[in-house]
Amino acid sequence: MTNGWTDVANADVVLVMGGNPAENHPVGFRFVMEAKRLRKAKIVCIDPRFTRTAAVSDCYVPIRSGTDIAFLGGLIHYALETGKYQRKYVEQHTNASFLIAEGFGFEGGHFSGWQGTKYDKTTWQYELDAQGHAKTDPKLEHPRCVFQLMKTHYQRYTPAQVAEICGCTAEEFVKAAELITIAAAEDKSGTVLYALGWTHHSHAVQLIHAAAMVQLLMGNIGMPGGGVNAQRGHANIQGSTDMGAWNMLPGYLKIPRANQTDIDEYLKATTPKSLAAKSLNYWGNTPKFFKSLMKAYYGKNATVENGFGYDWLPKISETGDHSWGAFFDDMYHGKLEGLISFGMNPIANGPNTGKMLTALSKLKWLIVAENFETETAAFWRAKELAEKYYAKIPEASQIQTEVFLLPASNFAEKDGAFVNSSRWLQWKEAALDPPGAAKRDQEILSKLFLEIRRLYKKDGGANPAPLMNMQWDYARPELPLLSEVAREVNGVDLTTIKQLNGFGELKDDGTTACGNWIYSGSWTEAGNMMARRGQGDPTGLGLYPQWAWSWPANRRILYNRASADENGKPWDETRAPLKWDGERWRGDVPDYKADAEPGSLPAFIMLPEGVARLFAPDLVEGPFPEHYEPAESPVLNPLHPLVSSNPMLKRYSSAPDKFGEAKDFPYVAITYRLTEHFHYWTKHTSSSAELQSNFFVELPAELAAAKGIASGDMIRVRSARGHVEGPALVTKRLRTLKVKGEKVYQIGLPIHWGFVGKVTGPLINNLTPSAYDPNSGTPEYKGFLVNVEKI
Amino acid sequence: MLVAKLIDTTLCIGCKACEVACQEWNDQEYTLGTFDGSYQTMADLAPNFWNLIKFNEIEKDGGTSWLMSKYQCMHCADAGCIAACPAPGAIVQLANGTVDFAHDNCIGCGYCITGCPFDIPRLSPKTKKVYKCSLCSDRTAVGLEPACIKTCPTNCLTFGERDEMLRVAEAKTVELRADGHKDAGIYNPAGVGGTNVIYVLKDAKAPESYGLPRDPTIPWTVQLWKGPMKWLGSFAFIGAVLGTFFHYVIYGPQDPELHGHKDEEAPHD
Amino acid sequence: MISPEIRIPRFDAYERVMHWMSALSFVYAALTGLAIWSPKLYWLAALSGGGFVIRGTHPWAGVIFTAVMGWMFARWAKTMGLDADDRVWLGKMEKYATHKHDELPESGRFNAGQKMLFWSQVLTALGLLGSGVVLWFPESAPRTLRLAAIALHPLAAIGSIAGIIVHVYMGVAAVPQSMRAMLRGYVVPEWARFHHAKWYREWRDANTLQKP
Repeated sequence: MTNGWTDVANADVVLVMGGNPAENHPVGFRFVMEAKRLRKAKIVCIDPRFTRTAAVSDCYVPIRSGTDIAFLGGLIHYALETGKYQRKYVEQHTNASFLIAEGFGFEGGHFSGWQGTKYDKTTWQYELDAQGHAKTDPKLEHPRCVFQLMKTHYQRYTPAQVAEICGCTAEEFVKAAELITIAAAEDKSGTVLYALGWTHHSHAVQLIHAAAMVQLLMGNIGMPGGGVNAQRGHANIQGSTDMGAWNMLPGYLKIPRANQTDIDEYLKATTPKSLAAKSLNYWGNTPKFFKSLMKAYYGKNATVENGFGYDWLPKISETGDHSWGAFFDDMYHGKLEGLISFGMNPIANGPNTGKMLTALSKLKWLIVAENFETETAAFWRAKELAEKYYAKIPEASQIQTEVFLLPASNFAEKDGAFVNSSRWLQWKEAALDPPGAAKRDQEILSKLFLEIRRLYKKDGGANPAPLMNMQWDYARPELPLLSEVAREVNGVDLTTIKQLNGFGELKDDGTTACGNWIYSGSWTEAGNMMARRGQGDPTGLGLYPQWAWSWPANRRILYNRASADENGKPWDETRAPLKWDGERWRGDVPDYKADAEPGSLPAFIMLPEGVARLFAPDLVEGPFPEHYEPAESPVLNPLHPLVSSNPMLKRYSSAPDKFGEAKDFPYVAITYRLTEHFHYWTKHTSSSAELQSNFFVELPAELAAAKGIASGDMIRVRSARGHVEGPALVTKRLRTLKVKGEKVYQIGLPIHWGFVGKVTGPLINNLTPSAYDPNSGTPEYKGFLVNVEKI
Repeated sequence: MLVAKLIDTTLCIGCKACEVACQEWNDQEYTLGTFDGSYQTMADLAPNFWNLIKFNEIEKDGGTSWLMSKYQCMHCADAGCIAACPAPGAIVQLANGTVDFAHDNCIGCGYCITGCPFDIPRLSPKTKKVYKCSLCSDRTAVGLEPACIKTCPTNCLTFGERDEMLRVAEAKTVELRADGHKDAGIYNPAGVGGTNVIYVLKDAKAPESYGLPRDPTIPWTVQLWKGPMKWLGSFAFIGAVLGTFFHYVIYGPQDPELHGHKDEEAPHD
Repeated sequence: MISPEIRIPRFDAYERVMHWMSALSFVYAALTGLAIWSPKLYWLAALSGGGFVIRGTHPWAGVIFTAVMGWMFARWAKTMGLDADDRVWLGKMEKYATHKHDELPESGRFNAGQKMLFWSQVLTALGLLGSGVVLWFPESAPRTLRLAAIALHPLAAIGSIAGIIVHVYMGVAAVPQSMRAMLRGYVVPEWARFHHAKWYREWRDANTLQKP
């Protein structure tokens, strides 16, 4: 979240789209209800299904799954057409005025530079002056300025066109647009809450970009009650993202590529250069973040001379891809030896279960650290446990994979910090000891590490340096305290051996160590900031600066400098997170230099251009979001039928990677989560199993009537990949949509069941396609094609 | 001081946190349900399940609405269960208005089930006693709010002094009416003397759509039984005893000896 | 002269067992029922283990009672039909109460009052059974039925108990020797002739040997 849960109470309009917080974030949803109760905020819910969130909304519009960009593009068009956008904000705080290179354009579904399989992005760049700074037209009139290009691009997204793509009516769209654009007024703000309903598409990142554009046009970024707010699913999924991924080191530093052969090349490639005269370009400090990280990893072994141990870091080949789809495809082709699955249940989580089961059966070994025997740990019994779904999966006796199920501790059995959606690091104490032979996660990992290192020392092995040079100076190496790790993550001044106060103190000369620069400040000499529970609220905006600790720098609202105009005058005096008192910015921790005069720097200090991007050339399928159909769609793209789905869509071509067509699979399916369960986990617990014991399939009443299906009848849902069976829940809440004049029905599929647990049912990912967003590598779990039959 | 639970149905998101809180606080045994075509945890309350969120899909003015509302003991001022209960001390009304079951005294007759106009109490086949929401009397006794209130994430559920709750409810309905919900109102049915569980409804004219009875009252047959029939019975029993006693005193036994011998052959008339 | 040594069989062993089974189950059901009926009589429950116990036993006592009533019905229903004399008798019931026997028509094996008691008990037993079953299983019956039963059951019980109070009075005090008839099974001719003249004659005609 750019803002935070408590801040949602400051909103005048809450756009809930691509998320269902009433069901999946009921505790956070209290702040939506607070906005509704105390501010009379309007809740607008755009969702394929009439959800529990829709039930308490002021305006609900159903759309076809995967058409969100069309809807948001329509909003952009509506705002520009009617003038309902915050003009001054757009002029001062976005790249609307920046000029784009000659030759940029969009035609027939492709942006300029299309080369058949990928883009040449030359024409997507800013036109630079002699100093290497982008040229601008502050009046936003130049035909090649971002504002004009945006206007042209979204010209096509009229209410009628939106209705034709999304399946709602133009009137419904306009009614929602009127409410959402309330926030265009300087003294109004609107928030956007989204979750997996946006990220589970093959154009997910563009979708969120579109939301950011809407929020920038409304002047909502940096404002209390504004922002683009991702509601994270797991208690610590934000933390896990912050601490790295296959292509990221902690703190969103990029993992080195094989062609970056030394640290200088790496830093040159990953440190952005300023694109505007006064831009602070904070990522220019990347060398400090990176070198401090290396000092945290390798300690004394990391020196200036050896490039801070750069050679010991694993590298990815120049075009290498190890995202979910890629590594399971590699596994399917027998290219992986083993897999360690920690706090993760891939068989249940990933798309196309059949492919994953086969892939796991090709491993030599599989280690699962879990509280329960999950589907992944029991994958080799899939055929025995659920033969009707996995008839083609090998028998247990044919599977050679050696599976180790390590009993791991539960969240209540360990201390440490959770990072919530608001970016708050909240420290917690352990409530219980792990039962039986269960061990804490860090103990499992440490013992593995120490044993591998011992074997290396004893017997030798390939590439020993990364192992041998790793710093592991914990009091009890086999069971580090999480407080020790947290202090290490915060960072230490190596000359004074004092905890750092924040990333402002990081150095690029090897005198500081820091495990994650964005967490620097979380455990200072003053102690564990994450354990604070102060309830003071000096700004009155619900920022609670003494409650836990928020990254970065305990800042509660990101980009908060944009809550005021370029001269420092707040857009809304009653709702100003920052105020310039003549010497310093007061209020929230400023996302700005704390003592920099209002006009001295542009507002977006993290970006090299200093302003927010309406036009974002770093995304792979285009600088402006464009509506593309899902990988499987009942219709061809009404805007450009020849380039119907995302041209950069990531997909694989193994035998199980099948895609269906509308003539065989006429209905749109959506997978989703229910309030009553958490993923594939709570089917092991009594209370959640009671609240929702049974898998079911939600069917639109009209379709059910046509097929003679009543609530409770057993039905089979089939996709090109596999099938699931369960009772039908027939409801009018799933409305029949009209797309290009044709009726489109959508089927609802809750995900929470599997072949082990107190309650069991089909794994819904038997149905889902191996189609992935090209930017994030997230699978398209929503908006694929199925057929339905009564059993 | 009377207390009340206020349920603002406009803020209920059907998250069922109150269901779990109720189950946990009251140490209930969890059971697995069968699919009944709805999002509801189970079709109805159970002896080990006292607090159910009902999900009602309503088609109105061409649109769909999905009403969620909490269904539990209403803690009536004139409680039908108490009226119907034959076991002294099995159902008690606390000074704060709570209607609570004292299971040591419960005989399991189930009359309360019949007496309750809201159909709340449930007979346990295991213990042969009747169970329902206690308004967490064990929590309120020490100044805590009921478990459901404590856990509600949206402020849909609040708890406090009854007059205050009524005032809050009234203010909310005024707001709702101003927002165009002209039929908004409070559900605090007079037929049972008012309840200590109060609802704010968007459409108070159709409480049935929330699963609430329109005009709940203590059933007249229960009142008949507890009122006039007691008099009738006492009159009949005492009358019969006294009548026969005095009959004996006045007339004595029907003894042939007293009536003198008659010749067996003599015609009777 | 009628010899007082002559014993006329009035109730055979089956009938006596039948009667006393019904009597015992009735008394038990009535006392436990009264305990449930009024809080003022709840102390009666203590006589049989308290409220929780009697909630379990009362319905079974009722089942036994109504089963025996069924037996009684099968055995006596025919005898209990009203004839012309009975109707006259009923019209002049106060003569019976005031011992003006000479003014009443003769009775058969049972007089009209006894017959009316029989039929009233059959009727109330049906009411008690029907309403009792509904009250026994409150969760299996529709609410309207339960609401009816909650009033009907005590109403039937009141009628039944009041009738039985009179019956007990008649048996114990008002009609000497009738207790012996029900306990030992026989009456003396004089008693029979006085109370049930028609029945007595039938007996006498069938048992001429008994004549002096």
